[in-house]
Amino acid sequence: MTRPLESPRLDRRQLLKLGLGAGAAGLVPLVGLKASTVSTRARIVILGGGAAGMAMANRLAMRLSGARITVVEPRETHHYQPGWTLVASGVWQPDRTLRPNADFMPRGIDWIRQPAVGVDAEQRRVSLADGSIAEYDYLVVATGLQLNYHLIGSHGIGSVYASLEGATRTRNAIDEWLAKGGGKGLFTAAPTPVKCAGAPLKMTFTTLSRIKDAGRRDAFELEYLTPGTAMFSQPWINDFLKRRFDDEGIQRRHYYRLSAIDPGARQAQFTFVGPASEFTSHHELRQEEFGREGEMTEVIDYDFIHVVPPMSAPDFIRESDLIARVGPFRGEWLDTDIHTLQHNHYPEVFGIGDVIGAPINKTAASVKAQAPVVEANLIAHLQGQALPARHNGYTSCPLITDIGKAMLVEFGYDNDMAFLPSFSFIDPKEESWAAWVLKDYLLQPAYYAMLEGRV
Amino acid sequence: MQFSLAGILAVLSHAIPPFLPLILAILALLVVAQLVSRLRGYRFADYHCLPAAIVALLAGLSTLWWLPMLTASRLAFVATATDWAALVAAALGVALITWLVLHPLSYLVRGPNRD
Repeated sequence: MTRPLESPRLDRRQLLKLGLGAGAAGLVPLVGLKASTVSTRARIVILGGGAAGMAMANRLAMRLSGARITVVEPRETHHYQPGWTLVASGVWQPDRTLRPNADFMPRGIDWIRQPAVGVDAEQRRVSLADGSIAEYDYLVVATGLQLNYHLIGSHGIGSVYASLEGATRTRNAIDEWLAKGGGKGLFTAAPTPVKCAGAPLKMTFTTLSRIKDAGRRDAFELEYLTPGTAMFSQPWINDFLKRRFDDEGIQRRHYYRLSAIDPGARQAQFTFVGPASEFTSHHELRQEEFGREGEMTEVIDYDFIHVVPPMSAPDFIRESDLIARVGPFRGEWLDTDIHTLQHNHYPEVFGIGDVIGAPINKTAASVKAQAPVVEANLIAHLQGQALPARHNGYTSCPLITDIGKAMLVEFGYDNDMAFLPSFSFIDPKEESWAAWVLKDYLLQPAYYAMLEGRV
Repeated sequence: MQFSLAGILAVLSHAIPPFLPLILAILALLVVAQLVSRLRGYRFADYHCLPAAIVALLAGLSTLWWLPMLTASRLAFVATATDWAALVAAALGVALITWLVLHPLSYLVRGPNRD
């Protein structure tokens, strides 16, 4: 699939149209009017049809007239991943998280149902699994991330991140553990940025909730092992979590990085990354640092273990020119400006979602905040204008602290990860039933509306 | 994170469909009870029925117990002012609908007041 490269241009009429559109855009929050469309013949390739890719496909399809938009997404089924913790906790049935991708794919775009295997940023070409090539004028990288289970030596026993099937098996593994009537459960955190950073905490809390409901709290031992000192990026929530874990008798072990599992013996090996090497515990861990000789290790017996694997951009992105070369995200994540979401070296490339190198932001809520920014900035760049939109790092974690209550934690980059609450009547510092109901019933509809580019 | 009016409607377009049969069934019950009783002479202001009001009140109060449970939660987790405002609003809604259904139904069963 090759097409001649054409420079996107804008005539006076279109500029006037854009000006009127910009004026109308100011009314959007009040009356929900749509921004004006922009004519272009640009070829836009969107890598990935998950939350970020689908939202961008719909937004660009609505805003651009004449553009040739291609979505590269091999999967036919869309997974509502924020629901996987509820599946693993036994609250939701697995099929509640599934919808066909075709329900959300906009009309008039080209959907390539195969994986991308490479990107040549210099030549503006994407290589596909069947050997064909997709050329682009603009590239939106929305691949999500990959789970690097191989870096911990063995497959995990329970891991809500693995897949919907993994979440279901995790629920089964917890059921079996609870049925035993006692024992030790280990909950790990990863030494890399992870998607939905609250998920391992939620799994700890919901499992504890089930243990307490069973009336056998004293028979179960829970440990939370994390490579760093922090449990959560937002400082107030971090302090809250440490207090709550201590109050609930969940042992916290810091500087412990999961390095191997022996499923048969039910033993997990942890590498101690003490204060001297604390820097490796957050954002800077390299693959080759796993399993170094001479490191202190500890083997811990368990009855159940919940594993959070190291994560990174997909390999074909890591092997491309798009990957960060310097800084805390080097070699692992897409090299984007965390505010404009434009690639730092290839201005026709934008990143969105889990794949970008950012200190926080690997959530569906972040995608909702990022999608309008990428839309506005890509269209502005296409018209030769300065990038008008800026992402403030907004992210949200409906932090489940028990089955039946949650905290709606929303925050961003600025002011030491200060809270950015959406609703004045929901305090991010309070555990509430309302936040739980929001998580259980309303966030999934909001997510689907986001996929359609309607919020 | 702000939602426009169109955005809120978009979210509701996904949120409501699973509950649509239940909403329609309740509305149908309400409309049928009101219509049939009015055709038989029922007038809201002219008819008094204490048992209907008591049952409606009990239905509203019972909401405090079953609604948290229906949401996989429990009353003990209803803690903040927002939680209570939402739960009390739901309880009032249940009580009102129950009353608006039972009041005309009791008229159909008992006939007009004889005082």
